[in-house]
Amino acid sequence: MRFPRLGLALACALASFASHGAADDARRAIAARIEAQLAAAAAAAPVEAPAQAEPAAPPGPTPAERGKALWVRKFKDGKSLASCYPNGGRRVAASYPLYDGRLKRVITLEMSINQCLKVHREPLLEGTDPQTMGALTAYLRSLAEGRKIAVRVPAAAEPRFEQGRRLYFTRFGQRNFACASCHVQNAGRIYAEQALSGAVGQAARWPFIRAGQAVTLQAQIRDCLDRMGAAPFGAGSDEMNDLEYFLTYLSQGQPLKPNTPR
Amino acid sequence: MRARFRFPVALAALMLALPALAQKDRGLELFVRPDKGYCIACHAVPPAAGPATRSNIGPALSGSRMRELGSPALHELLRDPTRASPDTIMPPFGKHRILEEREIDAVTEYLLALP
Repeated sequence: MRFPRLGLALACALASFASHGAADDARRAIAARIEAQLAAAAAAAPVEAPAQAEPAAPPGPTPAERGKALWVRKFKDGKSLASCYPNGGRRVAASYPLYDGRLKRVITLEMSINQCLKVHREPLLEGTDPQTMGALTAYLRSLAEGRKIAVRVPAAAEPRFEQGRRLYFTRFGQRNFACASCHVQNAGRIYAEQALSGAVGQAARWPFIRAGQAVTLQAQIRDCLDRMGAAPFGAGSDEMNDLEYFLTYLSQGQPLKPNTPR
Repeated sequence: MRARFRFPVALAALMLALPALAQKDRGLELFVRPDKGYCIACHAVPPAAGPATRSNIGPALSGSRMRELGSPALHELLRDPTRASPDTIMPPFGKHRILEEREIDAVTEYLLALP
């Protein structure tokens, strides 16, 4: 009786490993393609970093400081957001988004914050609002700054990763661009006087700070979709979460570097 | 006698040339507007023909190459470049109604007049 159980456990473990391997293979293939494209772009026309000073920070608290104030604010029941996370939220951000096998959904950092608020009967936050959710992610990700991204793609999550990959490579909207048109096929080339970033590493750098406000990865993707002439997916929608899941796994192992000014 | 006709002839020539000049200017405007063609984001143009950029997603555009293509082919390329090159990332400006036919005409005129 013990052997069939052992066999089942072994089969599950192997299936999980194999599936993880498939996501890993996709990640390696895309990373290699981007690396080759970046090298080709640099050889064709070396991009000189524009000699511009970092944008001056507006007066007042930074987004991460505003986020900290929200993080420690006491709820009506005396708890706080910090009480919902292990170690008060230190080092947790590098493992998001994560896959919830029970819900069969990808859970982002923003969703986990709203889940905590819901449990404590507090008003929920808008997923891309820079004043609240943006500031909170700025603080929470600053608590994991330098930690390497460690997102898991178990076998059950493979369809979510694959859906994110598919969306990333699908052409959308009036301009008929895919995310990959710019950030894989043309990474390193100049579009509108800006060198296009490669898809690998993008998920390590959010939120970035624009005009004193924290811009989350999903807010940036929505902005891109808008410029592509496509109706953006809702923040926190399954499509957007799958995209974030895929994009974050592409940056697996890269250290978190949030709150860089743009 | 000859002097009496010089001014009206010059005026008539100017009036004939104005629509073409206006069309070219309109073409440049559509070429650089982010909500219209925004071709300048991907293509560089010769100095003085438009803003100086480092854009290199698509090839740098030159008048000789545009005239080599010719007006009908250029118009069709702007309308739907995916017909000739299915994998191109150039937007189908006419097919997806980013530009109207008259606007594609104006951009075509601008491109044909590039140095």
